[in-house]
Amino acid sequence: MSTTASPDRALARVRRRETHSPRSTAMVVAVVLMIALVAYLGAEALLLMAGAPALIAAPADLLRGLSVASGTAMTAIGATVALVGAVLVVIAVTPGRLAKHTMAAADGTIVVVDNGVIAAALAQHLSDVLGIDRRRLTVGVGHRRVDVTVRPETGLGIDLDGVRAAAEAELATYRLNPSVALSVRRRLEKKEER
Amino acid sequence: MNSTRRGLNRTLVLLVGLIALAAGAAVVWASLSGDAHRVWTQTLTAAADAVDAAHSATLVGAGPVSWAGLGAVAGAVILIVLLLVPVALLAHRRSRTVLRSTETDAAPGRVVVREGFASDAVTASLARRADILSTRVVADDVRNAPVLHVSVTPRPQASPREIADHVAAVGARLDALLERPTRTYISLHAGLRARLASDRRTLT
Repeated sequence: MSTTASPDRALARVRRRETHSPRSTAMVVAVVLMIALVAYLGAEALLLMAGAPALIAAPADLLRGLSVASGTAMTAIGATVALVGAVLVVIAVTPGRLAKHTMAAADGTIVVVDNGVIAAALAQHLSDVLGIDRRRLTVGVGHRRVDVTVRPETGLGIDLDGVRAAAEAELATYRLNPSVALSVRRRLEKKEER
Repeated sequence: MNSTRRGLNRTLVLLVGLIALAAGAAVVWASLSGDAHRVWTQTLTAAADAVDAAHSATLVGAGPVSWAGLGAVAGAVILIVLLLVPVALLAHRRSRTVLRSTETDAAPGRVVVREGFASDAVTASLARRADILSTRVVADDVRNAPVLHVSVTPRPQASPREIADHVAAVGARLDALLERPTRTYISLHAGLRARLASDRRTLT
């Protein structure tokens, strides 16, 4: 589809943006918190100049009140504020990868797939190819890992190597980026475990 | 395919996070350590005295209005407006252009293909596939280059490879029709609609 110069900077930018969170929600939360604080302080200053009673305390009285505050409540408030700050810092510095993979396409077109689509397609494929009841297959797709769990009916064996081979063959056609490691497990029903 | 200013978002989140972390840590430190509490009390008392002094020294006439207070209110308003700018930037008007050609001596005149044309062509081509639940086509500029985004919600049992290849082939036919290559981005989504479709398939 796209036969423009490769690697295309516009499409490379799209790939990066579609697989990573823009952090818009965190930004809006942070901005709302800051606006609330600044608006409150501005309102207190305005009320002081208007000679009206303060909402909580005039700015200078507020600082004096905070200077003598102590005890468990103060520790708890400080810890909560610090925790919120730490969460925001972590959100700001971590990559924020979304639950998506890109699929290689021959002509430079960018294909981004939700991990949920990959998991559902792989589970259905294994069910069709191996004749396993779809409800007895669970597929989880992570950033670097695909977990296939089979829960065979009581008394029936399952060829895990066959499941692995079929899953690997199907995943190879997807040509995912980043590539994923496959893990195949058999989980017994609770009655059988006893 | 959005144009959110991610660097600005992260910078703001980091800045507010660091302020909150520093303030919270200072409060905890002051409440747990006697020496720290003395420093805390002295610092805040000095700050309160400075606020009172600035207010008293800049009074306008005999009333309670002061230049320091007016400056604080003006500063608060400016800061709030500045903080609202990144939120307003989240709203983005799409260019809705799929293809834009420049005029040359060999090919005089400009060609602009709008989103609606490509959307109708691609959506109609994909509507025949039973393994596709819905398709949405939008266009926007990325780095001043038009990019077509085809968003597909497949049925849960559908192979993403088959669908991606089919959509790419439809795009190739669009290129042939327009006689120019288009930058295309395909996204395959799982969602509530796909899960409901799966349930329906099981029941029928």
